[in-house]
Amino acid sequence: MADLIELDRLVVRFGDVTAVDGVSLTVREGELLMLLGGSGSGKTTTLECINALVTPTEGVVRLRGEDVRSLPPHALRRRIGYCFQGVGLFPHLTVAENVGITPELLGWDEARVRARVEALLARVALPIEEYGDRLPDALSGGQRQRVGVARALAAEPEVVLFDEPFGALDPITREQLQAELRTLKEDLGLTSVFVTHDVLEALTLGDRIAVLREGRLLQVGTPRELAEAPADPYVTALLEAPRRALDRLS
Amino acid sequence: MSVDWPRLGELMLAHLRLSLWALLLGAAISLPLGVAAARRPALERAALAVASVIQTIPGLALLAIMVPALAALGAFGLELPSIGALPAVLGLTLYSLLPMLRNTVVGIAEVDESVKRAALGVGMTPGQRLRRVELPLAAPVIVAGLRTATVWTVGMATLATPVGASSLGDLIFGGLQTRDHGAVLAGCLGSAALALALDGLIRAAELGARTRRPRLWAPAAAALGALCLYALASPLAGLAGGERPLRVGAKPFTEQYVLAELVAQRAGAPTEVMRSLGSNVAFEALAAGDLDLYVEYTGTVWTALMGREDRAPREALNAEVEAWLRDEHDVVVVARLGFENAYALAVRSPEDGGPRITRISELAPLAPSMEVGGDYELFGRGEWRSLEERYGLRFEAQRTMDPTLLYEAIDAGQVDVIGAYTTDGRVAAYDLRVLEDDRDAIPPYDAVLIANGAFARGRPALIARLRTLEGRIDDDAMRAMNRAVDVDGETPARAAARHR
Repeated sequence: MADLIELDRLVVRFGDVTAVDGVSLTVREGELLMLLGGSGSGKTTTLECINALVTPTEGVVRLRGEDVRSLPPHALRRRIGYCFQGVGLFPHLTVAENVGITPELLGWDEARVRARVEALLARVALPIEEYGDRLPDALSGGQRQRVGVARALAAEPEVVLFDEPFGALDPITREQLQAELRTLKEDLGLTSVFVTHDVLEALTLGDRIAVLREGRLLQVGTPRELAEAPADPYVTALLEAPRRALDRLS
Repeated sequence: MSVDWPRLGELMLAHLRLSLWALLLGAAISLPLGVAAARRPALERAALAVASVIQTIPGLALLAIMVPALAALGAFGLELPSIGALPAVLGLTLYSLLPMLRNTVVGIAEVDESVKRAALGVGMTPGQRLRRVELPLAAPVIVAGLRTATVWTVGMATLATPVGASSLGDLIFGGLQTRDHGAVLAGCLGSAALALALDGLIRAAELGARTRRPRLWAPAAAALGALCLYALASPLAGLAGGERPLRVGAKPFTEQYVLAELVAQRAGAPTEVMRSLGSNVAFEALAAGDLDLYVEYTGTVWTALMGREDRAPREALNAEVEAWLRDEHDVVVVARLGFENAYALAVRSPEDGGPRITRISELAPLAPSMEVGGDYELFGRGEWRSLEERYGLRFEAQRTMDPTLLYEAIDAGQVDVIGAYTTDGRVAAYDLRVLEDDRDAIPPYDAVLIANGAFARGRPALIARLRTLEGRIDDDAMRAMNRAVDVDGETPARAAARHR
């Protein structure tokens, strides 16, 4: 598989604080890469370097081999889907308008936008006839998150960034959405980077997992590789937690 | 007490024009400034500080200060009218800034952080984020600021009258002076109705747009648009081209209203009487050519304008005043009208429980147990210092009040002495005794019709007609006219017309 995104020795400093400390990582075409870490691990900052919400102090992010700084930020972001925990649906726009915003910014014609929005809303189980004209306030938390996913996918992005999108949902809704995301990914051949602090979520969803701690990349590999050959005591400890939980169930 | 409907309608339209001009200018300044300030904390602090300071200036002072400010621009070769609509609109514009500016900054700052992040995340440029997300979401707050500014500005526009712009304030200021309570009420209610109507239209337009109800917002927006177009179609300067009418000024008391009407009638030319100008506003406007004529008093020129504290005999003083006006300000004395309206001290007559005295020197020993009332100017004027020094006057208390209330206050025994005008009809009506100035503390106050020099040279025939007023109004005639308005409720124009 070809590398779609390459993070090359990224360093991000905010004043005296080093949030990301020399992270090098590649995202392969069609994979779902998890960025796993606790708070302060630098996982979100790393993610935000990809769509230029954060400018790295040192290092380069390349999309298809091209330095992302060579593009105007808004043009770059129209090629990258983005979905985060607060969702940030536009409260003054309907569900359909929210989903269609990036295609519209890209200048798609109305019919194409409409067809795309309709297809995506159907994919996330919010049929346009029933939900399209609603305002975000009239949706449940899980429904809003689904709209957020649909919006991130709307403009046929080359890669989608997820920043703990399901963090605030109840466990059952979360599991449901995780399953839906997995299906979406398989069906669409989606490339995505997914930030989480939840080991189980990482193991459930991820093709590969990158473990971050205090701004450093400890290890990257498939769930099996991490389980069989943890490169760091922290990785071992992380993977112990779900194992212990399972033991108590059996 | 009947309502003059055509005049009320005219004044409401004039009031509306002033208010809308100011609001549109204010919005044109504060909205872009607010947007810029929302992203720049230093600019936000500076802009809000300036707007807040402006807000603390009393409204009347803010408008009045525009007159010398505009006149001063003349020194830089920028000839703008310093009285009338321009200073009023500028003052009102400054006053309208704060609510709109503050609400724009706050409205944008309060847009949810995750929504701002999403706007960037979906690929909006900063401009698109502003137009498509931040402004629509901040709109209710910004519109609330606009509505506050609207109500304030329409209310404040009544203060345009003293700087020479027609507004509903004409009814209020004039009505207070001539004790026409119906006019005062009409002015207040008219201004309140305008404020509520504009506020309602803006609210309907915003609510309709936010809830996507075109049947609500479309008519409201159309009505607002039409009103704004109407206001903007009337030129701000109000005197671009064409023969403009004669402009006669009047300070804010009855005698001045009557004399302005008299001058207008005698001039026999289209005339605009600008009532209720402040004392200094009137003179500055005349010197700047924004006013053609008004009646001044030699003693006022001597003390207030020339700043003289010494005293001179009548003829010498009048000659010196005339020379000073001509040489320093190119202002000519057209006619000496023949009466004097001096400041004087008046007490109740002995029959009404007043002291048995006839001269100010006799008042001095009684003063420490007496209260004195004066109009807005009296205690700040040179004559008052002069009275205090020459007679050793020290009163128990000094009270400043509106001239219309002075007479009722002394009649009711709430003050013992008042600063009165010798020609005021109410001195006789309330049976007051004017005390003789036996130590010449107060200069002569001969009424003189004065004109802007350039105007006088340009209209010799008209000036010749006005010169026939020389010596034609004596103290008794003036007192009778004042009395007709103040006591009998005549209009100033009618009282003036009866004089022959």
